Amino acid sequence: MTGRVVLALAGAAALAFPLVAPTYHTLLMLPFMAYGVVLLGLNLLFGYSGLVSFGHALFIGVGAYAGAFLTGRVGVRHLEAMVLVAVVLGALVAMPVGALCVRYVKIYFGMLTLAFGMLFYTFLLKFYRLTGGDEGMPVLRPFLLGRDLGAIPKTDYLAGPYYYYCLAVLVVAAICMWRIVHSPFGLCLKTIRDNPVKAESLGVSVTRYRWYAFVISAMYAAAGGALLGPPTGNVDPTLAYWTHSGNLVFMTLLGGFGSFFGPLLGAFAFIYLQDFVMSVVPYWRLIFGAILAIIVIFAPAGLMGLFTRRRPAEVSRG
Amino acid sequence: MTQHVVNVVMSGVFHAAILFLVAAGLQVVFGVQKIFNLACGSFYALGAYVGVSAVQAFTDAGGPPWLFVLPLAAAGLAVGAVGVIVERGLLRFVYDRDETFQLLLTFALILMMEDAIRLTWGTAPRSTSALYLVYGQVRILGAIVPVYNLIVIGASLAIALGIGWLLTRTAFGRIIRATADNREMAEALGVDMRRVYAKVFTLGTALGTLGGALVIPATAAMSEMGIELIVEAFAVVVIGGLGSMRGAFVGALIVGVLRSVAISVYPELEMLLIYLIVIAVLVLRPRGLFGGAAA
Amino acid sequence: MILQAEGVRKFYGEFCALDGVSLAIKPGEFVSIIGPNGAGKSTLINVLTGVLRPSAGTVRFKGRDIRGIGPVALARLGMARSFQLVQIFPDLSVLETLQAAVVSRLGHGTRLFASLRRDREVQEGALEVAELFGLSEKRHALAKELPQGDKKLLDVASAFALRPEIILLDEPTSGVSTADKTGIMEILVAASRRIGLKAIIQVEHDMDIVFGYSDRIIALHQGRVLADATPAEIQADERVVDMVIGRKQFSGRPT
Repeated sequence: MTGRVVLALAGAAALAFPLVAPTYHTLLMLPFMAYGVVLLGLNLLFGYSGLVSFGHALFIGVGAYAGAFLTGRVGVRHLEAMVLVAVVLGALVAMPVGALCVRYVKIYFGMLTLAFGMLFYTFLLKFYRLTGGDEGMPVLRPFLLGRDLGAIPKTDYLAGPYYYYCLAVLVVAAICMWRIVHSPFGLCLKTIRDNPVKAESLGVSVTRYRWYAFVISAMYAAAGGALLGPPTGNVDPTLAYWTHSGNLVFMTLLGGFGSFFGPLLGAFAFIYLQDFVMSVVPYWRLIFGAILAIIVIFAPAGLMGLFTRRRPAEVSRG
Repeated sequence: MTQHVVNVVMSGVFHAAILFLVAAGLQVVFGVQKIFNLACGSFYALGAYVGVSAVQAFTDAGGPPWLFVLPLAAAGLAVGAVGVIVERGLLRFVYDRDETFQLLLTFALILMMEDAIRLTWGTAPRSTSALYLVYGQVRILGAIVPVYNLIVIGASLAIALGIGWLLTRTAFGRIIRATADNREMAEALGVDMRRVYAKVFTLGTALGTLGGALVIPATAAMSEMGIELIVEAFAVVVIGGLGSMRGAFVGALIVGVLRSVAISVYPELEMLLIYLIVIAVLVLRPRGLFGGAAA
Repeated sequence: MILQAEGVRKFYGEFCALDGVSLAIKPGEFVSIIGPNGAGKSTLINVLTGVLRPSAGTVRFKGRDIRGIGPVALARLGMARSFQLVQIFPDLSVLETLQAAVVSRLGHGTRLFASLRRDREVQEGALEVAELFGLSEKRHALAKELPQGDKKLLDVASAFALRPEIILLDEPTSGVSTADKTGIMEILVAASRRIGLKAIIQVEHDMDIVFGYSDRIIALHQGRVLADATPAEIQADERVVDMVIGRKQFSGRPT
């Protein structure tokens, strides 16, 4: 029951945070929540289906730019629309890309996803008339629940209503993912991760389920991407760069892949650690690289593994 | 017209010569250790920066400019020794792990090396561009080509032949091919894997650092050069086929020249075309031109 | 005729693994395939289960051509199999393994938001099979922690959970102690009756088991069917006894 207690405490803390914490830290929670949504989805692909994508940031880009387009070019400022359109677009892009990619495994899957990710990045970068090139596109302050809050100063908006909106999205996303993971569908995913040959002999099509996982995780990534835009007010092509995808995998591993809350923990740790390290020394990559190396070598189950001492599924070469 | 074509082709071949070195390093490591070294770009960058510093030191000490390519290449090769440290100190801990973790470890290496380079050399680009034309230029079919480019192309060709000779004529080469083919059997025959892995990985990094060093007079050493190069190198090995030296050679030529053509025709295309080809290759013929069995 | 193979040939490059194998399985039969190692038994099983496409010949299940259709399609058609090298889901529990099979059978695999725990049909279906195979007590144990015999049982049980019409067992008692072998076979037979299985085909080395349970025995040698007859006829067939069983040793005990 300690799990539930921790969850309740975390929930209460999240709710109270903007009221008690300094604004700076509250604002830091915003990318954490956005990445939280992304990682909830990525975990389905990485943790539950065993596929490492080096192009997942593509879908973050799709979601972010969808939001920018809607507010800037089309004039639709409702965050609900932004998230919805992002999710739909993410799914539409993921379906053909996924259909192609899931037929391959391990390194070939990684390479294909990397190629697609970089393809999108190049598209965002080079077709500047459409996308704003390397400067990116601005994202105008969205309306929340139909209310135009343009009168409120930016930080108050972000640390207040926007914060709670993102929190709500994160909670909804988490509940949906929880149900997915504990559904008959989720069980089938676990089978294809554990033993694809046996899964197929039981009538579970490995490529089909991987495809489902791919598309769902892309939808989550797009939703997270839509949430990433408003705080900075700008989206740019680096969102889709392959190292961004690498960081996502890093975050998942940091928190503990294959566990439900691990990725959320990983996003939290990554964002805060990055902020902390950067304030002390500019060489955060050196430290993060070392952390990743340490995790890979000594603690592959990530932070969750340290807390719960559960081994992740099949860490060694099978 | 011919002048333009020759320019495009020659600059493409020059780029291919550099790409080949990095890709060859990737291939030999993948072929033997089955690890895709994402950090090959970082070693390339390292070689570039070390090369610049070496040339700087050389000219500062009064060395004749027309000899600059010697300290450049020597430094590039020498810093490849860092591969031993990386292999023994980091990589060997994950040999028995899932590919994913090996890949992630090389990603960690990228992060660490990027900042290590930044720490040592700062963020401003470094170059030796003044020395680029020290060997003058040559007219080929109406186009003007720096002699330095020809030197590098020649050197790369020589190295390609050297690698070929190494693989087919020496005992070490035989061991490499045997291990790439069937690791368990090679081990059973008494091959000491630890030494082979250390040597192979170092060879791989040395090729990468050399490539980085040699490109320096033509471009500046910049902090993103590693991350950008890895994508090209990856395109080379996909098209050429994972683990194949011939693949590295042909793949490098294809990517180098195609990129040059794309830039001259429609600059927006540049890497776009390459990525499309990579995707097409992965889908239609995953093992590339010369690779072994696919996914 | 529920399963029929005619003139099946399979080449691996130059090597001929199956050289014109024909067989026919009727509903209600328990057929054993025997033969020395290298006789082509595994290849035959893989061809019969649609994993391998034969180089020549036909394979029909309930009249449908099933050459190379793959395990997923075959499972939906009503054929299941177990594996020689036991295949389990290491990190799933016994119950979850069986649930997965039932989910697949009932087509609940696309229910994303339904609760697995509250899926009555799946829970009952899985528990039923667990009971049939005597795994109820261990149903929460992780598959990788089971003793070898139970792993085998789970492999077979999950195949049974698909309620197939025909099942192929690849050495169901290999790696299991002699004492447990009959136990497994009895469970198998009882389970088959319960779920209305129409035919069982097994590859088996243990002659006691073969002779104790088969209606018909097919002896394979160097890719060809040497004999296809009742146990009594096989016993009397010198060629089979000679080469497959071993003349001197045959006294009902396996070599």
